[in-house]
Amino acid sequence: MSTQQLSSLYGELTRSFDARPSDLNKCGKLLAQLKVALIETGLIFPQGDHKLEDLVAARDILEIGAFWSIRTKDVPSFDRYFSQLQTFYNDFSSVLPPSKREYPLRGLNLIRLLIQNRIADFHTTLESLPLPADELALNPYIRHPVNLEQWLMEGSYSKVWNAREEAPAEEYKFFVDSLIGTIRNEIASCEETAYESLPLKDAATLLFFKSQSELLEFAKQRGWQVNLTAGTVTFAHKGEEKMEIPKEKLIANDLHYARELEQIV
Amino acid sequence: MADVEMKPADAKSKEEVSKETKTTSPPLSPVAEIKSNAALMEKAVHNIEPRFTHRVLRSLAAIRKRLDDKVLHDAIAEVYPKDSAVKASLFAWLPNVPAEDQSMDVDSSASPKTSPTSEPVPEVEIYLRLLVLHHLLTSKSSYDKALELAQETIQRIQSLNRRSMDPIAAKVWFAVERAYELGAELSDARPLFLAAQRTASLRHDDETQASLINRLLRSYIQYSLYDQADKLISKTKFPTSAPTTQYARYHYYLGRIRAVQLNYTDAHTNLQNAIRRAPPPRTAPGFYQAVHKLCVVVELLMGDIPERSTFRHPVLEKALHGYFDIVKAVRAGSLSQFAATLQQHAAQFEADKTYSLIVRLRQNVIKTGIRRLSLSYARISLRDICVKLHLDSEEDAEYIVGKAIRDGVIEGRIVHEKGWMECGAQKSGYGPEVSEMFSRRIGYCLELHNESVKAMRYPLNAHRKELAAAEGAREREKELAKEIQEGELDDEDAMGGDF
Repeated sequence: MSTQQLSSLYGELTRSFDARPSDLNKCGKLLAQLKVALIETGLIFPQGDHKLEDLVAARDILEIGAFWSIRTKDVPSFDRYFSQLQTFYNDFSSVLPPSKREYPLRGLNLIRLLIQNRIADFHTTLESLPLPADELALNPYIRHPVNLEQWLMEGSYSKVWNAREEAPAEEYKFFVDSLIGTIRNEIASCEETAYESLPLKDAATLLFFKSQSELLEFAKQRGWQVNLTAGTVTFAHKGEEKMEIPKEKLIANDLHYARELEQIV
Repeated sequence: MADVEMKPADAKSKEEVSKETKTTSPPLSPVAEIKSNAALMEKAVHNIEPRFTHRVLRSLAAIRKRLDDKVLHDAIAEVYPKDSAVKASLFAWLPNVPAEDQSMDVDSSASPKTSPTSEPVPEVEIYLRLLVLHHLLTSKSSYDKALELAQETIQRIQSLNRRSMDPIAAKVWFAVERAYELGAELSDARPLFLAAQRTASLRHDDETQASLINRLLRSYIQYSLYDQADKLISKTKFPTSAPTTQYARYHYYLGRIRAVQLNYTDAHTNLQNAIRRAPPPRTAPGFYQAVHKLCVVVELLMGDIPERSTFRHPVLEKALHGYFDIVKAVRAGSLSQFAATLQQHAAQFEADKTYSLIVRLRQNVIKTGIRRLSLSYARISLRDICVKLHLDSEEDAEYIVGKAIRDGVIEGRIVHEKGWMECGAQKSGYGPEVSEMFSRRIGYCLELHNESVKAMRYPLNAHRKELAAAEGAREREKELAKEIQEGELDDEDAMGGDF
């Protein structure tokens, strides 16, 4: 495939992506073709000399691809596009003009890590951002995931809940559903240990459920006992864990010490 | 050893130290020392005994501080025969020494001391190059030159390809890194390091390998490429025979990477090791301070409070000032104090690259606060918790306390209808966890003992003497036995004679 064809396809892609509402089906088809073209021209992992505008085009295509994957709710595909973009963001940062979409995408990637509960990866990625640490709070796209992580770790779930509508970009909202799922599970596990029983109404507020039927469904999943007449939820307690002395381990340890001491004396 | 210090911020204390060494060291002139070092190196190569080379390299730090153009010039002039090609090429890197000086030198060195007639081994050349390189790196104007020299030296080492050069090469790599860092971009040196690392590991050149792994880790961490650094660690094996100083650095880098990955226990072990293996705080204050800074933060993240004596250490006191304030805030469990301290010292933390780690401490501050409340109250309303910890709303307080209970920070229960928290009895201090803790500590002590037994050095031929002694004893015994036998015979004979 020649570069001309590539650029014509690229033009078509930007047109159909920028159209409101964007034509996701068509974008998908175009992206598949463009990916092949990028591989053939060696632009997907650029090595050696390439023209600047080609590199910018390749980056744009991958960026659109990443957004497209989020709009079609295909997280693994987003992951692939993003890791391909890493080359452009990190290694070519001095050559290429900065991209408008870079920080939104980096922020999205952070949220994705957060939702998949990959906290260690989240922090590693955060550290490797090309921004000084105190500027993180100034960039709206990065601030959002950073705040979310802090609130989640502290346990300020209501702040997470309130922030769900304050997403800095359209695409962030696609992650809201799974984010709510995550915090509901977190809250539920906290409630199980922190409370003996809760009135149904309060339980619903704590878990951000609007109707009782949603709560009942959720309670069934977690195996809570619901007493409809008294209007309370009782949490099954895993009775006090019995303290057991790990005899075998202790004996093995003692023998080990004896052997070592013998060597010393 | 002093190649461990690299933080320019601590230049002041460095100067102090160098003054000390100057006053205490014997008044041997640097030129004479370099000359004797060259002789030692010669000896090392001829006897295939790397010990001498190591001795030369140990004195590198002391010599480095006493170098100037003239010293280097004289040393090169005296080590090499009069019209040697190597000599000329080395001179090319030095600025011209003022004419009268030079003529004086030539006179004095030519007449009383006989200039050597044979060319010294190439190791000496590399050693001198290393000295010149270190000298060039001391002033800003010669960074470009240093970079050029570094590149040429590496090529020279690679083309010579001598195993007896490995220990020096390891040191040269450090200087190369420094040259790239000061004169150009550190990341440009990465392909060079990677290729050299591959060669070194194929040749089992442990010292160079250790040095290069550290170079690479540093370069990755400098650019915050923690992913790559982590991959490098998982793919390489740090040579066990590496010198302690390299080990100390390796542990420090590893500790930093683990801390970023939230693996605090691992990070803490590594940093402790780094502190233990680091050169004494007075000789390398920069490294000592850097490790302690990180270590304090990691200890806080683990929920421990660092010992107060750390902050009183003369080398650390000033450098750790900001961290001490953070520790105080965490200990008090006060969010507002924490935020204020963070704000106040932000620039320092940013420079130390610990800012983002310290931001993570926020949740620890809250946890400490809740734990303190749970210890002092049997029952406390959520409203009061909210006020005491400066939280935004009661609703938040309820979630936060719930999470603390689930995470096992406190024992307790929330009574939602009445809006208070009831604190349960504390866990008793006895149980399997205690024995586990003990067994971990005992295991550590035993390991330390075994390691130190293994690390003991014995003089090479000492057992021969004992063997000889044993041999002698056996000989004597044999003789004695023989005598006895003969004696017996004699006796018998004598007796026989009697009969």
